[in-house]
Order: sequence, then structure tokens, then C-alpha cells
Amino acid sequence: MSNTVRVQPDLKFVQELQQVGGESLKKCYQCATCSVVCPLSPADSPYPRKEMVWAQWGLKDKLVNDIDIWLCHNCGTCSDLCPRGAKPGDLLAALRNMAYRSLAKPSIIGTWMSSAKGLPILFLIPALIYMLIWVYRAGVLGTAFPLFATDGHELKLAADGAIIFGGLFPGDFFIDPIFGAVFLFMVFAFASGIATMLKSFESMPKTFIVGRGKEPCFLCCLIDTLKVEVAQHSRFQSCGTEEKDVQRFTGHLFVFYAFIALMVVTSVVAVGHWFGAFFLQHLMGIEGGLAGLIAWAGHTPMPLWSPVKLLANAGAGALIYGLIKLTSRRTALDAAKSSSNWYDWYLLTVIWGIALTGIGSEIFRLIGQKVLAYPTYYLHLVFVFMMLAYLPWSKLGHVVYRTVALAYARKIGRLPMGELK
Amino acid sequence: MAEKLGVYICGGCDLGKSLDVDALVDFTKKSKLAGICAVVKKNAVLCSPDAVAEIEADIKESGLDGVVLCACSPRAKWDIFRFGAATQVERVNLREQCVWSFDKDAKIPGLLDLMAKDYIKMGIMKLSKSRIPTPETPETNQAILVLGGGFTGLNAALEAARMGRDVVLVEKAAELGGKAAGMLKTFPMSHPYTKAEDTGVAGLIAEVTSNAKIKVLTSAELTSIEGAPGLYTVTVNAGGEQVFEIGAVDLATGWAPGDASYLAPMGYGKYKNVVTTAEFEAMAKAGKIVRPSDGKAPASVAFITDVSLCTKGAEPSSLDVCAPVEPLPDKAPEGEPEVVAYPPLESAKHLAYSSELTSLVALKQAGYVRESCSEALAFVLYDHMMVPGINERYYKAAQDDAGIMLSKATITGVTEDVDGGLIIAAKDTLLGADVEIKADLVVLPTAIVPVTAHQATTNLVYRQGPGFPDLELFDGFVDSNYICFPYETRRTGVYAAGCVRQPMTLANAKEDAAGAVLKAIQCISSANRGVAVHPRSGDLSYPVFNFQRCTQCKRCTEECPFGALDDDEKGTPKPNPTRCRRCGTCMGACPERVISFDNYNVDQIGSMIKEVTVPDDMVAGGPRVIVLACENDAYPALDMAAFRGKSWSPFVRFVPVRCLGSVNAIWVADAVSKGVDGVIMLGCKYGADYQCHFVKGSELCSRRKTNIAESLGRLGVEAERVEQYEVSIDEYDKVPALIERFMTEVITKFGPNPFKGY
Repeated sequence: MSNTVRVQPDLKFVQELQQVGGESLKKCYQCATCSVVCPLSPADSPYPRKEMVWAQWGLKDKLVNDIDIWLCHNCGTCSDLCPRGAKPGDLLAALRNMAYRSLAKPSIIGTWMSSAKGLPILFLIPALIYMLIWVYRAGVLGTAFPLFATDGHELKLAADGAIIFGGLFPGDFFIDPIFGAVFLFMVFAFASGIATMLKSFESMPKTFIVGRGKEPCFLCCLIDTLKVEVAQHSRFQSCGTEEKDVQRFTGHLFVFYAFIALMVVTSVVAVGHWFGAFFLQHLMGIEGGLAGLIAWAGHTPMPLWSPVKLLANAGAGALIYGLIKLTSRRTALDAAKSSSNWYDWYLLTVIWGIALTGIGSEIFRLIGQKVLAYPTYYLHLVFVFMMLAYLPWSKLGHVVYRTVALAYARKIGRLPMGELK
Repeated sequence: MAEKLGVYICGGCDLGKSLDVDALVDFTKKSKLAGICAVVKKNAVLCSPDAVAEIEADIKESGLDGVVLCACSPRAKWDIFRFGAATQVERVNLREQCVWSFDKDAKIPGLLDLMAKDYIKMGIMKLSKSRIPTPETPETNQAILVLGGGFTGLNAALEAARMGRDVVLVEKAAELGGKAAGMLKTFPMSHPYTKAEDTGVAGLIAEVTSNAKIKVLTSAELTSIEGAPGLYTVTVNAGGEQVFEIGAVDLATGWAPGDASYLAPMGYGKYKNVVTTAEFEAMAKAGKIVRPSDGKAPASVAFITDVSLCTKGAEPSSLDVCAPVEPLPDKAPEGEPEVVAYPPLESAKHLAYSSELTSLVALKQAGYVRESCSEALAFVLYDHMMVPGINERYYKAAQDDAGIMLSKATITGVTEDVDGGLIIAAKDTLLGADVEIKADLVVLPTAIVPVTAHQATTNLVYRQGPGFPDLELFDGFVDSNYICFPYETRRTGVYAAGCVRQPMTLANAKEDAAGAVLKAIQCISSANRGVAVHPRSGDLSYPVFNFQRCTQCKRCTEECPFGALDDDEKGTPKPNPTRCRRCGTCMGACPERVISFDNYNVDQIGSMIKEVTVPDDMVAGGPRVIVLACENDAYPALDMAAFRGKSWSPFVRFVPVRCLGSVNAIWVADAVSKGVDGVIMLGCKYGADYQCHFVKGSELCSRRKTNIAESLGRLGVEAERVEQYEVSIDEYDKVPALIERFMTEVITKFGPNPFKGY
């Protein structure tokens, strides 16, 4: 039988939860409608009923160690059908927000990310970095809106030349090192976050499953998660069956694969430039053949017919389509049932920023509007920085945290392996 | 006696299709009682305006003093068939009890016509033995006595004064205000019903003391209430005896906090920092919530409303409500009536009965904790949150406070920690495990125990004693029928309101006070018109005693459920018509049959039974069974069953009675001597969950039945031929099976009545 647990209610924690999006949590009267209607909740010790009462009692220990917050995909069915308007879906979202805020180090970024108050500093960091580069380069080039002509591998100022963003913001010395550093920073932050999270899960009870055999290895679980949950979105798809849920699923799938496409494009450019042009051609002196093809594939600006460019533009289109779906669903939410919090809007805005400034840069570049093209590209850099550098503390952090948690849940038997039945 | 009758037979509602109405008219014209039937007619639709006008014309022309309407149930169209105070109306229920419920499978032909003829004869006979009652109309006192000057009593006094009545308000304590005066706040009484508010008792006291129509007596004791409703003489001792002429009494004596020793299983009395809600309220009222052990303000307070540890073993008994009852003694004991004892009725059950208030008080006092300090925590550990009605809003508001933490919990123990704090152990919580919660202070519920659980309170000078009988059924709460007749007690003229009859909130008590005052006024103005107050409101009839034949056996005085009858030294009953509810229990009790009502009496019902034609050969003509059906539940249930297409044996004949309590043994003897094969007494449930409108009627009938069965046995008639069944008004679907069971188990088994054919 269960052991007696000393309950240590924490009023401050309740109030904190209310501030990060769980303001209705006190309304719950434990009827368990939420757990019954949830399409994903396991039969054994289901969420979100138990999280609601833990939250009411401020049982911080229970909640910060709870893996179930990552099992929820937030369709909002529980909140829609809650007879008290307690919004359990919002509470789980709030708990995830708390995790984003506190899991990764340095936690000061988590604090900045948790409310609109932190936005100016988060924006100013990349804005200043790239403004300094712009001012410096304008001094070197003699103009803030330069046009270039290509001469072999070199770029030259030319009054009748073309807009080349790499000319103003050279990848070799500024863009790539900065983003490289940002990427490393992000990876280390995630590493600390994952370590904290896995440690917290140690207190989760392991489910004994009859006939299950040996516990699967973590890697098997991770591969299973990537295959079932990430690539196919299968649990996400079965999370709610209403029109709005389908809209959300489609939107998320499009945004997800748009990012995959754009990631491929970025990789091709990086590999083409650093491996093809720099390593093979410049350092090794290999010209033509495969090396030439690799260097060419990553060379920017690309011609519009380049398959890489086509993929990039297709990705941009998919991103916009997905964003429209997600945004229109979120704006149509019935505030009495479930609401959107700062984390939701931050992420949507940043991705909209990336998409619009990205496409804007391309269009203005192509129509030769240098006064519009460079500032738009500048903003694009700022938005991409804001997404990447703060990723572990943003809602997008779920890319990593949820994946790890779902894999862990498989390992301890909280979720079954394989396809969803 | 009705001497000139009009008999009308309706042909509507399938009657004309199923019955030969012309033949019934001919039959009536040739019957034994044809002599008093001045008019015998049929009509296609008797309830049509034309038909009613025709009856009215006949009454005028032929001077009819009674009409027998052979049509539908008396429960239908009663408003159409009214022909003034001088014309008695008897309804013969051919529709529900003959045509609609006729079992068409019967093998003996002509049964339906036989049945209709029986009922018509019975109806004519009944009316021929009925008089229009002429009750005395005493000049009644109009003043109202309010017992208790607490929140309910104050409201009752004001309500009565607003309705123009003089009021005498008697309060035992030196100050008015009662329990409400000791409360800091009470549950919300106005929109938006989310905040505790002031009780308003100070304002009520000011209003009462300044009202010229209300005479307030404090530090006063009720010496006695003598007489009968409308005619009470009340003696009060308030530093000297004072006498008042009173019409009716509102009982608002309220409650006392329950004995806290019942809370010992949760640490009360053992640990200093375990207090009751009553003690906590007093602290809050005094302005300082502190721990008794060190006088410091508690940082966390646990309110426990789960009292299962304390009520273990005190659960309501699962006694069979229809348990067999002791037969009545043949003769009441001789000598002086015993002094009636009122043993204390308080138990741990009162904790459970108070659970609605326990829930609300926990929410209210949790609010006190939160108001005292923004960091302080209030835990509410409940078995159930019982917050019916608008108070759901109050519960929601309390829930919204982040510092009020609620969980269902079954408390398994309370122990003291080294620092004087308390550790509450609980299982079955919402938190998903067996838990321990530490709190600086534990607050346990206070039971609401009505003052009537400990004392007679009313000091009535009645033969049956100064207090209310049978209060053990309600663990001391005053009530005669909880759902159907609130305010009404077992003593006509005394109306209970507030926590003396049920644990309730101030908001409810205010409404209760108004309800009880209206009831008191209804009582006074019924008494002065000579009619019954309730439940037979407006009934003109009253029991008439033929004292010449009375043997002073005291049966009637002892068995009257309402203590209506006093007696003199010899034991001769002294009727008090204004106390009487006209159930006829006295009539049923009287072995000498000296008690009768003008329109309901032993001879009348006996004669009706004798009108049933009983075939000499049970095989050829079928058996006959008389069903004495209670008018309040059984009769409507039969109507409903017929209305819904149920049918039953065509060999039963129904005789409506006011209450099974009014059934006199002689009727059964009449039936059996006539050759009737069985008698069913169909009435209400009795026992702890009784349904009887007259509280004791069906139970008394059951006790008398045992005696009847013995007498039958001596005559060589099987005791099983007389059976009592319980049916409530909503059990109409069970009626056919009940009758069927009797027909197969009793009649088929025992065969014909040995008296048949004599």
C-alpha cells in the first residue's frame, strides 16, 4: 500500500502558478471530467485531475517532478468540458512554462523570457550586435546600403550591382561565428536543462507492465519517440478531434516540416560554403567536379531555379501556411475556456517575424529595393537570433524537452512503445 | 342525513362503451334505496357545462340534498362538481376503479356490470348515512406566542407584527439575539452570495424592542401552555407570573452546541490546539485568533469536517421500516396516567446531521484565517462539501482564495507534534496518497443539537405530556413530517421554525420564521371557523362522542397521534376540536364505537361494505375482497395505476378511508360475516420513514390488525384473510401485483370464507 506522505502546502507556489497562466486553477472541484475526456491521458493515475489538486495545495515537489505535463499536447478538450472553468489545459501549459523558465541555466534568461517585461533586453541584445556590425561595415564600405558585383569569389562595390546580404553582413567573419556561438550556447543550455529534468523524473514511479519483458534502452525509446511522435505527430494528431484540433495539427505539421526544410537549406549553404568553397576549393585547391558542385550548391545568392532555393521558398510558403492556421486557431480561442499566455504569443510572434522578414528580404532583394531590403534582413537576423539563442527558455524548448520526456516515459512504461493503437 | 338524492351516471370516458348505462339507471331505480333517489339520470358527458347546469336545476326543482355522481375519481374534476354548502356530493369512481382497471381476461361473464352496480349501491348508501357537519366556531385569541428570542424568533416576531398580530416573545436569556449574537459573520445572505456578512441581529433586536405590537420578555421561563389552538392560556415567569391569551405558538427555541466530548477521537480535550468551531467563532468575534497553547497567531489552521471517526457506531440504524409491531393491549392500563419521560436524545449523529452547516462554517472560518493574515493558510478536509443552493457561489468564492486549500479526506487520526502543532493523518484524499498535514491549529465541527433533544420545552398541559411525542424518530428535532408538512409539529397550534426543527443557515431560518408565522395564523383563523387546519385543511367535520356508551377505556385519548383528547378524573375523554386533525384514529380505536363524524362514521362504512354483493358459490361467482384504501396515498396510487392502463382482479371492491388509523375492527367483522373472502388494508409506510399523513395511523392499524386476526382465529376464520400492505403515492405500478399476490396467496390457498352463505 501507499506510504504516508507529508504534505507541504506552498502558497507562494500556487500564486506563482497562477501568474504564469494557471490563474483558474483554484476553481477545480475535482470531478475528474478532464481526465475522463482527455484523449491521451493514461488510465493509470491519469492527468490532469491530479495536477489540479497538487496545484491547489501548492505541492511544488510533486509538480516540478511530474512527467505528465509533457504527455499533454494541449488540445484543450479538458478545459472546454470543465464544468467549473478551471482550465486544466492552461494549468499544464503553465507548468510547462515554469519548466522552460527554470530547467536550463543561466536562469536569468528564463526570468526575462517569462513576461513582456523581459522583451526589450531580449530584443536589444541581437539588435545591438547586428547594428554594430552594420555601422562598422557601413564605415568600411562607405555606405549603409551597398550594391555589389561578383568577381570570382570576391565581392566588389558597384553602383549598378545587386543587393547581396553577405556583402554587408559577411558570413565568414560575423554571421556564421555568431550563430555558431549561439548554437553552442543553446546546446549547453539544453544539456543543463535535460540533466535537471531527468533528475527530477527519478522520483516518478516505474510502471510494472505484465509481459513487458526487459526495460527498453533509452536510445530505443528516443528512436521510437522520434519516429512515432516527432516524424508522424501521431499522439498530437489524436489529441482532440474537433475542427480546431485538426487546424492545430495541420498548422503544427506544416510549421514543423517548414523548419526541417529551412534547416536543410541552411545546412546545404553551410556545407557548401565551409566544406565546398572554403575547405575543398580554397584550402585544398580542388576546383571543378564534385567540389565545384558542393561549393555552388551553397553559394548565395542562389538563382531562383536552384533546387535548394526552391526548397527554401517551399519551406517559407509552408511556414506561412502553418502560421496562419495556428494563429487563427489561437485568436479564435474562447477566453472563458482556455487562454493563450505570454509564451504562446512570444513564440508565434518570433516565428512570424522570421517568416515575414525572410520572405521580405528575398522580395526586396529581387526587386532591388536596397533601402527596404537591408533593414528587413537586419530584422531577420535579430528574429533568428531571438529564436535560437533563447530556445531552451522559450515554448519552442518543447522540441527537446518533450522529446526527451516522451522517450523517458516510454522507458519507465508510462507510455507504450511503438505506434499508437 | 341526506334524504333526497340525485343519482347521475356518466357515459363519457369509455363508461358508455363498456357499461350498459341504461341498465344501470334501471337497476338504481329498482334498488333497495330507490326510495331516497328522487332523480336517477344518465348523461353522455357529466362534466359538460350542460350536464352541470342540469344537476343544478334538479337540485333546485326537486330540493335534492345530495348528489351521487357515478363517473370519474373524486380526485378529478372536483372543482366542477361543487353544488354549494347545502348539497353533499358523493363520487362513485366508475372510471378508474371499474372500467379502466378492469381485467378483461376474467372468465366469469358480467363481472364489470356487477362491479358497477356494487359501487353505485355503496355510493348511495354512503351518502344516505352522511350529514353536513355544523362545527362550533369559537371566538379565538389572535395573539401569537414566539418561544425563543434568537435570530429565528426575532424574525418570527417581526413577521407576525407586520401581519397585524400582537406578539409575546419569550426569551430564556437576559439578552435577545441567541446564537447569532455570538457570531462574527454569517454566510452570504444577498447577491452576489460570495462574501460572509454581518448577521444583522443587532438591527433585528432594535426593531423588535421598538415595535409596539411585540411584548418582549427576557430572563423569562415558560411555565405552561394550557388549552387548545386559538384558545391557549400561557403562563410565563419573568420575575413574576404573567398570563397571556394566545392563539398559536411559534417554537423558535433553537439549538445548543453539541457535547464536544463526542470529538475526543480527533484529539479534542487532549490537545490544547484542537478547538471547536464554536470556540473558534468566539475567538474571531473577540477579534483575536490565537493558539490556546502559546497565544500566538496560527500560520496554518485545519478545518476538519469529516466526522467519521466520531460517528463510528452511531450511523442511522438500518431497521426494517415495516418491522412487525407489538399488538395493542386489550385495555389501557388502569390508574393515573404515567408521567411522560423525555430521555436525552443527543448523540454523535447530530454531528452528521449538521453537515451542511459544518461545511459552510469551515468555509466561513477559513475566510477569517485568510483575512487575519495574507500569508496564513486554511486547510479544509472534508468528507463532502454540502453547500446546496445559492451557497455553491460561496463555496466557489472560497475555493478561489489561493490560501484556502480543500481536499476530500477521511481523517484517520490527529496527533500532537513536538512544537505544539498538530499532525492530521488522512486517507482517501484527492492528493493521491495517504497523507499527513501539519497545522498550527485544528478546528472541529460543532454539532447543532435542538433544545428539544434535552427537554420538553413547550410545557403543554396535555394528557399525553408537556412535550412532543416520538422525537426519538428525529433524534430530538421537532417535526411531524419533514418533507410534506414543514413547521407542523405533533401538536396542532405549535409551529416549529429554525434550528429546533432542522440545522439551517440564518437565511433559511428567516424564511422558516415567516413560514411558521403564516402557519400559526392559518391555525388561528381555521380554529375560529371550526375547520381543520391541516392536513385536511378546511374540513368541517369533527369527532362527536356518544358519552352515554363510553366505558372510559382511554383508548382514544392514548392513541390520538396529536394529543387532542384530554380526560377527566374518571377517564371520560374531553375533546378539543381545535387540536384535532380529523383523521378518525379515535373512531378506529373505540371498541364501543361511540365516536363518529357526521360525514364519516362506523355505521356508514360498515353499511357500504354490506352493499357489496357476495356470491354464495365462490367457484361460480368468484371471491370477493374488500380493500380499505387510505385516501391520502393508496387511493391516488390506484387512480394513477388505472390511468396508466394497469388492471387488477375484478373481485376487489375499494372503500376509501381517511386514514388506516380510522379503520374500526367492526368493519372487518362486518365483511367476514357477510362472506367476504379477504380484507386488504392499503395504507402508508410506517416506522422511521413513515409516510402517514397522520403520523401514527398506519402503524396503529397494523397493531390493531394483530388483535383483529386473533378474534378471527377464535371464529375459525384464517387470520391471513386480513392483510395490511404499504404503498406510497408513487408506487402505483406495484398495486396490481399487491392485489394479485393477495388473491393467489390468500384466497386461492384458503378457499372460500367459511361464513359464506350464512
